[in-house]
Amino acid sequence: MISERRRSPRQVLARLHSRHILHAYLFIAPVIILFGLFRVWPSIQTLLYSFYKVELLRDRFTFIGLENFYSLFGDEIFRRATVNTLTYVITIVPISAFLGLVLAVLFNAKFHLKEFFKAVYFSPMVTSTVAAAMVWWWMYNPQFGIFNVLLKLVHLPEQPWLMSSHMALTSIIIFSVWKNLGYNMIIYLAGLQAIPPQFYEAATIDGAGPLTRFRHVTIPLLAPTTTFILIYDTILALQVFDQVFVLTGGGPAGSTNVVVLDLYRQAFERYNFGYAAAEAMVLFLFILAVTILQYYYSKRYEVAY
Amino acid sequence: MRRSGMLVVVLALLFLTPAAVLAGAAKTITLWYPAGDITAGAAHFGDKTLFSEYEKKNNVKVEAVALDYDTMQQKIFAAAAGKNIADILFIDDSWAPGFLREEMLEPVADAKAKAWLEAVSPEIRTLSDYGKGRMWGYTQYGIDVYGLTWNKDQFKEAGLDPEKPPKTWDEFRDYAKKLTKRDAQGNITRVGYAIRHVGQPHGVVHKHFWAIYGAGAALIDTPLALRGGKYMVNTPGGKAALQLVLDMLDVDKSTSLNFPDPRAAFLKGIASMQISETVSIRARQPKEAPDLKWGMALPPVPKAGDKSATNLGGWLYSVPKQAKNKADAWKLIEWLNSPEKDYELCKKYNASPRYTVNWDKEPFKSDPYNQGLKQLYPYGIKLPINLGFNGIMDATGAAIQKVWHHEASVDAALAEAERQANKAIADAAK
Repeated sequence: MISERRRSPRQVLARLHSRHILHAYLFIAPVIILFGLFRVWPSIQTLLYSFYKVELLRDRFTFIGLENFYSLFGDEIFRRATVNTLTYVITIVPISAFLGLVLAVLFNAKFHLKEFFKAVYFSPMVTSTVAAAMVWWWMYNPQFGIFNVLLKLVHLPEQPWLMSSHMALTSIIIFSVWKNLGYNMIIYLAGLQAIPPQFYEAATIDGAGPLTRFRHVTIPLLAPTTTFILIYDTILALQVFDQVFVLTGGGPAGSTNVVVLDLYRQAFERYNFGYAAAEAMVLFLFILAVTILQYYYSKRYEVAY
Repeated sequence: MRRSGMLVVVLALLFLTPAAVLAGAAKTITLWYPAGDITAGAAHFGDKTLFSEYEKKNNVKVEAVALDYDTMQQKIFAAAAGKNIADILFIDDSWAPGFLREEMLEPVADAKAKAWLEAVSPEIRTLSDYGKGRMWGYTQYGIDVYGLTWNKDQFKEAGLDPEKPPKTWDEFRDYAKKLTKRDAQGNITRVGYAIRHVGQPHGVVHKHFWAIYGAGAALIDTPLALRGGKYMVNTPGGKAALQLVLDMLDVDKSTSLNFPDPRAAFLKGIASMQISETVSIRARQPKEAPDLKWGMALPPVPKAGDKSATNLGGWLYSVPKQAKNKADAWKLIEWLNSPEKDYELCKKYNASPRYTVNWDKEPFKSDPYNQGLKQLYPYGIKLPINLGFNGIMDATGAAIQKVWHHEASVDAALAEAERQANKAIADAAK
């Protein structure tokens, strides 16, 4: 049967295009729905809860405006948790980035068993943080842990590690650097391998030595990678929880209490969901500020080869 | 038509068969308890035959589920919020105020509570009564009373009489100094007295109650009131209690912040004395330190003639308000906590009984450990039941940790604790 009204090629193309779009949306719909259900909706709910006194078991929600936020800013425990979190971020981010760069430069060269060692350095990244933290808890044990055994062997004084309020945060930072090093190394390695060799050739012809090439060629051309690593690590570090929960539980004496751990306690041990939601919102604002910074700095440090 | 008829028959079979099977199946009563050896009293839940007699008689199935102790409170709360919770909760009685604050627990019927309180021994009565005969569950056998435990061989080695524990704080400090051992570099290899200073703040407070109470202080002035009251640790007695261990750390150097949990240190032989749950040492010692010879007594007091004090605690069989089978849950709890079952299980699991009548029967009548516990019970003080209890414990635990870790002076730490604890009491009273 011949159709009475033939479609023009443009109409056929338009119909195909819209069907194509529909199919694309159908394919991504499950992910979007799940994302909306498990990420977007809880975030909106947290924002709402932060303005309420939430009594889940009684199904009672009392609007209290900004009272949770006022209490938060007067809360000495939250203040200390914020200071601890910022101390953690300021220490771990540059150290992890620097050590990652050093390893990446080393792994950029060719040597025997390079791939094996690369895997060794990357393996902490793929290990469960909780499992690794439990092993390190034993390694930090003042009587039986391997760190003090090694210190004793070289006639250095034994350390209290996680048992001391002055050392516990440092001990957690050491663990976190070990855990995250591999990731920074791989990112930097990718950045290094993307730098065209002509830049190095040109610098060599101009008489630049290895250190000069590193300072004036490698570092500037790695700027976008460095910016990404600093921002990404900062966002992750602001949300530190697993290793603190396992290694110290926030102690001793609150010396390792961090914002996410404090909000977990408020929500699930004290049942103050509204207050915990307010803490989550404050953390969210911190992270948003960092993300906005990233956006502007990444534009500034864009490099075209 | 024939095909659609067959389809109806198949569908009917598919839906009706499970329903028929379910109709004949026994009802399931769930019980949640903490896994591991966190409490000796939970050991029997692993026994598959524990409930078999009850299950046969009542055509029910009892499902005992072990939960991780550290996150059990959170799981209970989340389950209650999701209205999908066990019928029976086997909980630490120090958790009860937190659950009561959220109105999560069913009270024991008044008549049953009265009968129980009349039939049990005085220490069980103390633990079970939440004021004016109100009960929120049945106290488990083998209750905790904190006592001083010491290593008799190490006492002998240090030239001390292994049968004579320290009775006063001065003696205690003196003994601890003599028992401490060091290596060639001067590092402490064995503490005279092991302290709990890390981990959950509540645990830190529990293990220092003896000094707080012994010095005449208290957590709150009205321990049996659910609401109201005033924090009472920021007093001369409370300050002295914190100062005692600080002096042992800094002046005597007979204890250390480098040592783990005091019970573990004691059982490993790297602590000569510790003060914690006696029932825990009794349960763990045969497995972890079979050769250990240990003694048990009341904790020391500030000076001769002072009244001894220690803390008393236990576990509770409770029924949450959101439980689906409340009547069956209470029936099972009453069966498990009857005088006959109390005697049978205490004899089987080597625990101290709850009913007065069972204390007069063997083996409890002549067992030295149980009779030793009976000497400690009268000095046991129950935890307050104030709804702001969690905040009080958080504040006190934080103060103790700050002082011993040299983060704050005794006065400053307790002043801050008082502020936070009184706020928690006031918030809970709203």
